[in-house]
Amino acid sequence: MREARLARLILVAGLTVMMGACGGEGGASREAGPWMLEASLAEAGSGIPFCEEVTARVSAFMSQFEGQMPPSERHGGAVVVASIGEIPDGMNNHVSQDYTASQHQSFVNLMTLVTYDENQIAMPYLAESWEVSDDASEITFHIRDDVYWHDGELTDAYDVAYTFKRAIDPETAFPNAAYWTHYDQGPDGVEVVDSFTVKFRMRPHADYIDPWRATAIMPEHLLGDVPSTELRQHPYGTVCPVGNGPFIFVEHREAASWTFQANPAFPAGLGGRPYVDRYVYRVITEQTTLLTELLTGGLDVYIRPMPDQAQAVIDSDAVDLLQYPFRSYVLVGWNARRPQLADKRVRQALTRGTNRQEIVDALLQGYGTVANGSVPPFHWAYDPSIGRDAMSYDQDAARALLDAAGWVDRDGDGVRENAEGVRLAISIKYNHGNDMRQDIAEIMQAQLADIGVEVTPTVVEWGTLLDQIGQSPRDFDGVVMGWVVEYKLDDTDLFHSRNISATYAWSGTQRPDIDRFLDELPLVVDREEAKPLWSQYQELLVDEQPYTFFFFSDRLDGINKRLRGVEMDARGEWLNIKDWWIPADLR
Amino acid sequence: MTTFIVRRLLGAIPLVLGIATIIFFVVNLAPGDPADRFSSPSMSPEAREQIRVNLGLDQPIHIRYVRWLGALAQGDLGVSFSRNRPVTDIIQELLPNTLLLSFTAIGVAFVLGILLGILQAVRQYSLLDSIASIVGLFFYSMPSFWLALMMVLLFSLFASVWGWPIYFPASDIQSIDYAFLSPFEKVRDRLWHLTLPATSLALVLAAGIARYTRASMLEEIRQDFVRTARAKGLSERVVIFKHTLRNALIPVITLVGLYLPFLFSGTVFIETVFAWPGMGKLVVDAILQRDYPIIMGGSLVFAMMVVVGNLVADVLYAVVDPRIRYD
Repeated sequence: MREARLARLILVAGLTVMMGACGGEGGASREAGPWMLEASLAEAGSGIPFCEEVTARVSAFMSQFEGQMPPSERHGGAVVVASIGEIPDGMNNHVSQDYTASQHQSFVNLMTLVTYDENQIAMPYLAESWEVSDDASEITFHIRDDVYWHDGELTDAYDVAYTFKRAIDPETAFPNAAYWTHYDQGPDGVEVVDSFTVKFRMRPHADYIDPWRATAIMPEHLLGDVPSTELRQHPYGTVCPVGNGPFIFVEHREAASWTFQANPAFPAGLGGRPYVDRYVYRVITEQTTLLTELLTGGLDVYIRPMPDQAQAVIDSDAVDLLQYPFRSYVLVGWNARRPQLADKRVRQALTRGTNRQEIVDALLQGYGTVANGSVPPFHWAYDPSIGRDAMSYDQDAARALLDAAGWVDRDGDGVRENAEGVRLAISIKYNHGNDMRQDIAEIMQAQLADIGVEVTPTVVEWGTLLDQIGQSPRDFDGVVMGWVVEYKLDDTDLFHSRNISATYAWSGTQRPDIDRFLDELPLVVDREEAKPLWSQYQELLVDEQPYTFFFFSDRLDGINKRLRGVEMDARGEWLNIKDWWIPADLR
Repeated sequence: MTTFIVRRLLGAIPLVLGIATIIFFVVNLAPGDPADRFSSPSMSPEAREQIRVNLGLDQPIHIRYVRWLGALAQGDLGVSFSRNRPVTDIIQELLPNTLLLSFTAIGVAFVLGILLGILQAVRQYSLLDSIASIVGLFFYSMPSFWLALMMVLLFSLFASVWGWPIYFPASDIQSIDYAFLSPFEKVRDRLWHLTLPATSLALVLAAGIARYTRASMLEEIRQDFVRTARAKGLSERVVIFKHTLRNALIPVITLVGLYLPFLFSGTVFIETVFAWPGMGKLVVDAILQRDYPIIMGGSLVFAMMVVVGNLVADVLYAVVDPRIRYD
């Protein structure tokens, strides 16, 4: 039997060469008929009892919409999006933290209570409206009464309460526990008033609404009986998710693709059924292949092309490049516990001795902004003037700072020493496999040699590096790292002296004035009032230099021109996927 | 022969278990932690510890090992940490893709390599021989991922942009409309996607096989029995294909078994470049993410492949060479 199979496979191999010559047309057609159900919808997760049951219910519920003609000419076609990574935790919001997963949960398969507009003001989504009590200790959400789970159950207040209870249950190990720090996590924290009204108790906080922008509501009727410790590995997440969002899950091919189809039952009040019939997310690890697929029409959206691919995207007639400020920054963290780095003037000198603009131009092809603080450009509290002059590239100023701090080249070998003869030699660690961080360490080595600092770039494997910088004895001098910040900005874990021995206190910052801002900023609700305080806080960071803040990289996306209605910004690529459409002649 | 195969297979069980045990301890004792991928300030240390508990990582290593062995005995490879699915399900989904790619490549490589080798041996020192040798060496010395990238650029990107009559997709094993295709179209679609990755793998292999075949053919062609065959008036075709080739293929055929493990390592790059959802890339990703169950499951599969590959080589050896008997 085995031999017969082998023979067949080899036969196939013989055919391949011939087939290549005739498989000439540019891919199969993507034509879509009247509204129909995907064949594979009924097959998802066969062999797993939970999945067989729920997919049968989804098929049954959705079949009542079968054959209905799409309501407009914009409806139809399939859109293909690809990026380098899988969606590891799938549609299971209880356990996921990954960016792509959270995008799909918020905008594709599931729904959040609120979404943000472009100014980061909360807008109704699953929640029709909400009110906050006068003393800001209670928030009451009124849930839409026309949102169905894809298996036909109504989404209601019990689902919201269930999602919250799961998130604060320690056994779930919800990876975003920080969302809920100002919510009452006791038994009275949440109260279902009626089927579509739910009330939460909280302490006043500037970003009280933010967790509801980030947390997709999960189906209680499907997962309510699952023990919290088993949620992570439950088939709901990656084999047969059942959401309530604009797209129904159809198929997940491991390490290859996720397929969704438009949800005909999506409430008309939220725009109704999405325009495209199908949405496919593909995993392509190699970026040259991604670019090729984009340029040859195999993809509609290439998430995050590399900066050095941007020109090829711009040059092509078939695709457009989108560019916008995003939520991440790259930094070099300094371990101020080390004698060489204890003096803030030394850290300031390291920043001023590095030509960061040149690095942005060289490594990011200019698609980025030099950073001087932890507030990224998309954020309402961003102030570009902070640190711009104080931390500008100036080798003479850097030398003066080092001289003043007592680091002088005493033996004429080109490297400075202090009075005790300790050389100003530091290592900068970066993780294996990240070329950009390696480049940063090496460029700093070259540039800082000019001001008498000896830098040794050191590569360390990622997991090991996290241990080295996060745990005592903090075996590092400098480290190239990156942060992706949330809308709810909070640097407490990074710079508050209270957390000095916690994992993320890489620098070991201990400044009462910084502590005070970190304590007070989250309580200032009014943005006009908060903005100058944020600026003052940023000035302190500039002075302290726990990091050399390197740059905020711009987000790039390659978009096929046939795709219309695309809107992307710091809120994410999938933000308005239900409004994307493809002209009929280009489907 | 059957006894020999059974004996070898039985003997392989402790070998595979031994390999698995070593890998188990190496990956579990290596620095890093599966919970690391959640590292962020918004995750509390308690939540991180709870994730470890939920994944069963709070147990001491020897307990985990015994549990893992116990589950293995029941055919259970555990649930992936990073993909949150049973490892057996994932392997079932991805292993056929890798096998399809490897066996296609091996098939193409042997057909191509042997044909070329014969041609070179028969026309030794001709212009054709020299050109084939140079081209062969060119492919032989080329890293497979680079060749793969060049194939993508040439036959996918340039072919499409410049409007060549032939164009191949750069990624995946099927079109996004695969579910809607007729059975014939499905086969065609699969082969169309298979072309570039299989060719990239096969070219490198074929170059080596051609060298082996050429050398082996040249050795046989000078033997007395070939002269005898020619002397008794057999046509050159019969002499080459029936008499010489049969003997010359003995060392070449055994390469099949030896190339199998080599192929699996080669597919890692090919699978990455062509986004071919297969085992190689799965295991490499798992190593980076400390996804112990997948690393273990994947290693077991690879170890068994190598054992089977070696067995196939031995058996083929006996099949093509009557002098060899396993009794």
